[in-house]
Amino acid sequence: MSDFGAALDIFTQETEELLAQMEDGLLVLEDDAHNVESINNVFRAMHTIKGTSGLFGLDEVVAFSHEVESVLDKIRHGECVIEAKLISILLNCKDHTASLIKYCLSHESEELTETLRAIGIALITQLTSLSGSDLPTSLVNSEAELESASVFSIESHQVIDDNWFITLKFRQNALRNGIDPLSFINYLGQCGQIREIQTLTPDLPPSLEFDPETCYLEFNIIFHSALEKQEIADIFEFAEDDCDIRIIPPNSKIEQYLNLLKEQEPDSHGDIEKLGEMLVNIGALTHNEVTNALRQQDFICHQESMIPKPLGEILVELQFAEQPVVAQALLKQQGVRDKTVAESNYIRVDSAKLGQIINLVGELVISGAAMRLLVERYGLSDVEEVAVGMNELVSEIRDTALKLRMVAIGETFSRFRRIVRDVGNELDKQIELVITGGETELDKTVVEKINDPLTHLIRNALDHGIERPAQRVAADKPAQGTVHLNAYHDSGHIVIQVADDGAGLNSDKILAKALAQGLVSADQELSRQEIFNLIFEAGLSTKEQANNLSGRGVGMDVVRRNIELLRGTVNLDSIEGRGTTVTIRLPLTLAIIDGFMVETEGERYIIPLSMIEECVELNAEEWQIDSIHHYINLRGEVLPYLRLGDYFHDRSRHCQSNGHRESLVVVKFGQAKVGLVVDQLHGEHQTVIKPLGQVFEQLQGISGATVLGNGEVALILDVQALIQYAVKPKGTNGHTLAH
Amino acid sequence: MINLAIEGKRTETALVSGDRYQQYLTFLVGKDIFGINILDVKEIIEINNITRIPKTPDYIRGVINLRGNVVPVIDLSARLERQCSEITKLSCIVLIEVDVHGESQVIGALVDQVNEILDIAESNIQPTPDFGTDIRTDFIQAMGRVEENFIILLAINRILSIDELSQLQRVASSHANLALSDETSNFKKMDNSDEH
Repeated sequence: MSDFGAALDIFTQETEELLAQMEDGLLVLEDDAHNVESINNVFRAMHTIKGTSGLFGLDEVVAFSHEVESVLDKIRHGECVIEAKLISILLNCKDHTASLIKYCLSHESEELTETLRAIGIALITQLTSLSGSDLPTSLVNSEAELESASVFSIESHQVIDDNWFITLKFRQNALRNGIDPLSFINYLGQCGQIREIQTLTPDLPPSLEFDPETCYLEFNIIFHSALEKQEIADIFEFAEDDCDIRIIPPNSKIEQYLNLLKEQEPDSHGDIEKLGEMLVNIGALTHNEVTNALRQQDFICHQESMIPKPLGEILVELQFAEQPVVAQALLKQQGVRDKTVAESNYIRVDSAKLGQIINLVGELVISGAAMRLLVERYGLSDVEEVAVGMNELVSEIRDTALKLRMVAIGETFSRFRRIVRDVGNELDKQIELVITGGETELDKTVVEKINDPLTHLIRNALDHGIERPAQRVAADKPAQGTVHLNAYHDSGHIVIQVADDGAGLNSDKILAKALAQGLVSADQELSRQEIFNLIFEAGLSTKEQANNLSGRGVGMDVVRRNIELLRGTVNLDSIEGRGTTVTIRLPLTLAIIDGFMVETEGERYIIPLSMIEECVELNAEEWQIDSIHHYINLRGEVLPYLRLGDYFHDRSRHCQSNGHRESLVVVKFGQAKVGLVVDQLHGEHQTVIKPLGQVFEQLQGISGATVLGNGEVALILDVQALIQYAVKPKGTNGHTLAH
Repeated sequence: MINLAIEGKRTETALVSGDRYQQYLTFLVGKDIFGINILDVKEIIEINNITRIPKTPDYIRGVINLRGNVVPVIDLSARLERQCSEITKLSCIVLIEVDVHGESQVIGALVDQVNEILDIAESNIQPTPDFGTDIRTDFIQAMGRVEENFIILLAINRILSIDELSQLQRVASSHANLALSDETSNFKKMDNSDEH
């Protein structure tokens, strides 16, 4: 049972992925209707869903996806033109499939609800009515026949009728070898109905040279029968050596082959079937044809000593098989191959297991530190070497373990294509989504939690940001608006930007609203940045009227809270009339970081190493320290500084009285740089981040805790909050605004 | 670890009446004995190093490392609006599991000494008097009569309410901010405070 449960899990995950693929494909098709690869992707997704749903007995899903699949099949064969409307319906179909699967899985063996059923029927009706204007099926497959039956008028019959088309070219020695063409044709007549027969004698020499023992005959036969190709070929078995036989199946057969190909499941070993085998298995080829074609391939290869021609091409050239069938088989083969390759490169692992590994690695890091401490304490120089080596290994293991959980953000980004498209349609706006930096990696646990805030920001950009086309044109901007999603790494953080080229925000309006709602008082002086960040306060929305997308004034505060929970920050910048950019900064991982340990007033603190620019000894004599405004002159650069001891312990001591030199740790976050004054530097420390818990949720300046080698707890500094505090002009109460 | 008498003393009156008992862990805070329901107690540990957390009110003593987890420690004495506890050889941390919005979190309570586990008959548990204590009434669950004495049974979930702890802390930290932000003018005050 649990196995089945696990299988179901994989099924749901897989269908989700497939549906996402389908959506991506459809959205690509919207721009580029002839993208064959996308058409195939979409089709394959639907087809696989149908297949696997069948495995799990989800009949309703199978029934629905079958309908969709057949329409997609038509598209794939060019029988049905892709247009915006059809894509909309197909997108809805994708959604419906998702909800069907969800429903079926949660309500086992129950009937569908009326609404679900009604939606399904409505969608199928729409689909069939749109795709109903098919071109006649014949157009699709006729190419192959055109070639094969070059000179004949009967070719047209053969296309329309459900007949086999057989050409027999007897070799010159046929009669001498005792082959009687007539007897074969007679026998053929017994196995089915010969609708029409034409006799050709293209090689017939002038009468003088005519040799009665030589066979000059060729036949074209239109044959109606329920036999399979191999069975028909068997009729001519004895003539094989003296006759070139081509058997071209009727249209219905070709379709049957195509269907067979589609339905044929790759065998359990996941081996790649050979093209020939595949075609023989479905009956599109006879064994002999394959052998001949292979021989031909060899022959070409030997003779011209070049790269062997693909078997598929030879088969088509020799007219053993039809172009669409071969193409389909190749596609199938490719699909299996892709899958095998993908399967061999990836292992699906429960993310909880990864989490456990990372936790254990965290504990290992702490024990490693404890061991090093003991080695140092007892001065075990011979052990030290081992300890150092082990420490290096541990930190490598740590990095690898963390990388396991890293995923590219691109997948998250591309999900928004759909939202942008749908919202754009709903609001009658033309919007393009530009994605860059999709390959930027970050922790999967972070990715999952960033989805909601991002959705919100994008909806905001679409709704508030981008104007209607008319307005845009009037404002001298292109009618099509652009939303730009960007990601990149910056000093241990990932930066995600959501930018639009829309109307932008009016800072006066925000300030007025904030004043009206009592979020700020009139005497406060706020920087432009601070005013824009007011937008993240609860209850502030500049949109006059709420709609179902955004504008109710809830949300931006939730966005900020969610991001802060991830130890990240969010900032908004805007130029009125030009657009808005929201910048999110997140730590790359929530588990283990490289830290730098400092000490002040007897307490040890960890600073994330990635945020440290440099460490220098504080030289009070050389640097002009402005202790009122807290600025120092570091090599000609004006740098705000903060005494950690003062900040944390509400006490004012000065380095001079301590009698020892203090150190300055220069940290940076984004553009801002600040010097932190500490008593002592302890060096690098692998830091396992432990949450401080809800009691300390509101604590400023501390982002978490870690356990040191001696079992004590040290606090991790929230550098960004400290920078904000240090940079803020002293003497205003502006910082109370931050919360 | 401190050995606790698992079989607590039963008072004579309770034995006579023969009704149901509740077990309470009693401990010393300052000079007073308090009790909390034994079911709330997860573990009692000796004090190792407590790491101070800056910018928090007095009653947040700091955090400790409990087998790899960081656990906050509340100074019960300070939380009951008395003086901060001095740490002695007898001081202990009582670890208590608190329910926070459906998730349980462990919080340590610093006490001066752990006494014993008492069985108190339900008939001997009486409602909180409206007067006569210096402790916030909502921190008291009930009064338990043991022989001729009364023990205050604490409403530990109220005392360690995460919502309140984190709220108060916010107030405290913004005070600290205000004080700091005007550092130059506050210099004297701080120097004074340093002296005692």
